[in-house]
Formats: sequence, C-alpha cells, structure tokens
Amino acid sequence: MAIFTSTEQLNEVMERLWNKIKADPEMSRQLLKSKLTVRFYYREPEGRLTLDCSDGKEMKIFTGENNVKPVVEMFMKSDVAHEFWLGKVNVPVAILSGKIVSKGPVQSALSLLPVVKPAYAMYPEIFEAAREKKAG
Amino acid sequence: MNPFVFEAPTRIEYGEGMAASAAEILKGLGASKILIVSDQGLVKSGVIAPILKCFQEDQSLSTSIFTDVPPDSDVTCVNKAAAQAAKDGCDGVLAIGGGSVLDAAKVVNIALTLGGDVLDYQGMNNLTNRLKPMVAIPTTAGTGSEVSAVAMVRDVAEGKKLLYGSRFLAPDVSILDPTLLVSLPAKLTAATGLDAVTHCIEAYSVEVTRSPLTDVLCLEGLRLLFQSLPQATKHGDDLEARSNTMIAATMAGIAFTNLGVGVVHALAHATGGQFGTHHGTTNSVFLPYGMQFNLEVVAPRYATMARYLKLTDDKNDEVAAQTLIARVKALSGEIGLPSRLRDLGVPALKQDQLENLASLANSDPAIMFNPKEASVQDIIGIYERAY
Ligand SMILES: NC(=O)c1ccc[n+]([C@@H]2O[C@H](COP(=O)([O-])OP(=O)(O)OC[C@H]3O[C@@H](n4cnc5c(N)ncnc54)[C@H](O)[C@@H]3O)[C@@H](O)[C@H]2O)c1
Ligand SMILES: [Fe+2]
Repeated sequence: MAIFTSTEQLNEVMERLWNKIKADPEMSRQLLKSKLTVRFYYREPEGRLTLDCSDGKEMKIFTGENNVKPVVEMFMKSDVAHEFWLGKVNVPVAILSGKIVSKGPVQSALSLLPVVKPAYAMYPEIFEAAREKKAG
Repeated sequence: MNPFVFEAPTRIEYGEGMAASAAEILKGLGASKILIVSDQGLVKSGVIAPILKCFQEDQSLSTSIFTDVPPDSDVTCVNKAAAQAAKDGCDGVLAIGGGSVLDAAKVVNIALTLGGDVLDYQGMNNLTNRLKPMVAIPTTAGTGSEVSAVAMVRDVAEGKKLLYGSRFLAPDVSILDPTLLVSLPAKLTAATGLDAVTHCIEAYSVEVTRSPLTDVLCLEGLRLLFQSLPQATKHGDDLEARSNTMIAATMAGIAFTNLGVGVVHALAHATGGQFGTHHGTTNSVFLPYGMQFNLEVVAPRYATMARYLKLTDDKNDEVAAQTLIARVKALSGEIGLPSRLRDLGVPALKQDQLENLASLANSDPAIMFNPKEASVQDIIGIYERAY
C-alpha cells in the first residue's frame, strides 16, 4: 500500500516541508543562489510540487498545476519521495535504474542534493503530523 | 551483495572487414533511408568511403549524409543533422566515428524520432519509447559509446556538456571492425585507450552498482588494454593489438553504463566543457590523481586489479594499490600522453574560476558514483595537483 493515502495529504506534507526549508536561512540562501525552478511529479497518489527560485530573491512553492516553466523535472512514485526524505534512497542507483526519472539538466538537480540534506531531519515530524491529523 | 541491474542491449558483431555489412544489418532492422553521421577527420582519412560504397551499391537503400560533427559535437550541429534527416525522411541512423560522432548520432536520433529541439530531451531515463534503429561503427577504441546508454553533447555557447541517458540510446547493433582503427594516429590511439582504461578503473571502484557481471568486464578489459595499448600505439597496423583494444573498450563501455564512473570523469567533463580539451587525454591526466584521492576507500579494489594484471603479488592492499597507480602513470608516459593539465593548453585559473569549474565537476552526474565523497575543495585539490 502507498504511504500517502491521498493527493491532498501528499501535497500538504511536501508543501510544509518546503516551507520549512524556505525558513532555514542556509538552505534557502543556497537554493536561491541556484536560481533553479524544479517541478516534482509524484504518482500513486498523484501530486505536483513546484519550487521556483528563479528571481534569486524569494523561494516560491506551489502545489498542483501552474504555469511556471520548470528547468528541471523529476518524476517518481510518492513512496520513493517519502523514502528520499527519510534519507533512505540511494540516489545514484535510483537515477541510473529509472526509479527517479529526471528531465532537463540533471547536473542542476544534483547540485541541490547536498543543499537539502539537512531537511531529512525535519521530515519525519512533518510526515507524522499529517498522518495523525488524518487518523484523528 | 548489493541488488543490481545489468543490461547490455546492443548486439555486437566483430570481424576484420565487418563494416561492409552495415547496409545489410540496417535493412535487417527495417530501415531503408539511412542518415549516415560522421566527421571531416574520417572523410579525410578515407575510413568512410568504402562503407559508403556498399550503400551506393545497394539499390534498396537510400542515404542522407552528414559529415560535419565537430569534436565533442555541439547542439547546433545535432539540430542541423536532425533537420536534414527529417527532411530526407530517414528511418534509420548509422554512425561511423569516435565518441563525438556516436554521441551526436544518438542525440540526432532522439530529435529525428521525437521531433523538437534536442535541448528539451536532456535528462536521465526520460525517454519512454524506442528510437529509430541505430547502428554504430566505432573508429576509436575508447569511449564505449557503441554500447553505452548515454550521450554527451557540448553546448558551446554555455561552456557545458549536456547529458542524455536512456536505455533507448544504446545502439541496436555495433560493428567492431579493427581495420578501421589502422588510420587512427598514435596520439589519439593513446588518448582514447586511456579513456577506456579510466572506464575500467573508475567503474570497478563504484560500490553501489557493482556485480560479478561487471567485475569481469573491468578486470579483463583492463588486462587487454595494458597488454595491447602500447603495441597498438606504436604499430597501428597490428590488427591483433587493435582488436584487443577495441574489444576491451567495448567491455569497459558495457561495464560503466551499468556501474557509473567517478571523479576523474566529472573533472574531465567540466574541463572539456570549458576548454574543449579531448576527453580521453583529459581523463589520462586526471586519472592518477583521482585514484590517489580515492585510494583510502578503494585500496582493496585497486589491489585486486593490480594482482589480476600480475603487476604484483604483494598481500598488502595499500602497497598493491600503489603499484597500480604507478603502472597507470608509466603506461601514459610510455604511450606519449602528457602528464600535466597545463600541457593540454588549459590556462592557469584564478580562484573564482577554479571554484566555478570544481562546482561544475561536483554536480556532474559522474561524481554521484565516486566511491569517496568529494567536496568542491577536494576537487580543487585534485585539479591543482594535476595542473
Ligand atoms: N557516450 C559515452 O558513453 C561516452 C563515453 C566516453 C566519452 N564520450 C564522448 O566521446 C567524445 C570523444 O570521442 P573520441 O575520444 O572517440 O574522439 P573523437 O570522436 O572526438 O575523435 C577525435 C578525432 O579523431 C578522428 N578519428 C576518429 N577515428 C579515426 C580513425 N579511425 N582514423 C583517423 N582519424 C580518426 C576524428 O576525425 C576526430 O578528429 C567526447 O565527446 C566524450 O564526451 C562518450
Ligand atoms: Fe570516458
């Protein structure tokens, strides 16, 4: 069974996580420096999250459909995203085997990996809160 | 053992004179209007003329010929070739050349099959369909592009190399014909051979994707290269030596496409993207320094290679590993390759330029597979030692 029970739950968790990343001065500084726009396409359940750092001033975070044109797009099962944020995905293997599919300059996406590593520690709490809310 | 995936989808046909069967092979794949991709160096050296003649003699096939691939290719040339192929209604691709031509042809095939601009198809595993049939005839023994699932094309305007990765990029058939290597000058024989040596060593050092299937390819590939590369460089008409290097390069190609490479390739891609240095030559310069950097985590692997090559029977891994590094350096010297980056015409870099280049290398996909974590500072260190 999939870890996330609905698109709403998935989008909510990812949006909260990225907002926490945005609130972290070091992570947001480095992401803004990249000026990158990335869109994540999740499946089972479906979900979309767009991160727009293009103006270098403010990180914009959108869930669902929107008109922002991403430079890099990443496609994966929602379960893979969950495991990724738990720090349990071997990213090179996932990229080589196609578990994580990337479109656009892969280099740009890879340069962000070390930047967001501190967010692994933030994720479990955010995920548990969303799950408890659902259960409650 | 790690879980692993191993894929080798390309059919390989080896033989002296085998290139003459390209037309038959393409027909067998259902193609009848063939885009033939090559470069001016190959036109001048007379390598492609006899192959073209076979096509001209076959009334059931028509051809569209593009021979303007520059070294390391370029997005502009790829778009131009794809437009020509589309206009001529091509339904199959034949690439005759070194890695630059083979990579260009792979990316041309994406645009020919799917339409649009090649910049839109960069990525890893983002192609979902088979492409038009493609046959590769390598004329260098080095890159492994004839069997690999990746292609790199230079974006000259941006000073970067673009990456395309998909199982659908591995050619359907590769024809290994050692007679085509005879005209390859000694300098390029050496440089492309060292690219293959680097593939064997870097791929064998990757931990996360390794398997016994890839181990044998790296070990035996490296043995053949050490055995025959000096002879192929000094006596370019020795077909046995040429065959050994050609087959070894293909073995290394199958290995690295399943395994990944490492910091040496990451640095070679970044340096080549910025300064246009030849891929194999750049690898050969960085290789001993990259190996030294990784030594503390991969000494047992280097030691296994050194013992397999019968360079030493020392039981101490550290000592045996150092023997391999020394032998790699000696091989480069023996076949006349430069040992310093400055000898490749790379200018001395200021601190900010150095950081920029190291950051490029640090986000190169090759670096993901390096057995030891490498920071931007580490990469600058390797670069400076190699300079
Ligand atoms: N796709 C992959 O898996 C892969 C792996 C490694 C490298 N590469 C790419 O391969 C490229 C380098 O390829 P390369 O090292 O084969 O060199 P190359 O294709 O750039 O060729 C170098 C020169 O050699 C000439 N030449 C080639 N074969 C000849 C022959 N038989 N006789 C006379 N002249 C000949 C060419 O005309 C050219 O001028 C780089 O762009 C690199 O990024 C790709
Ligand atoms: Fe290479």
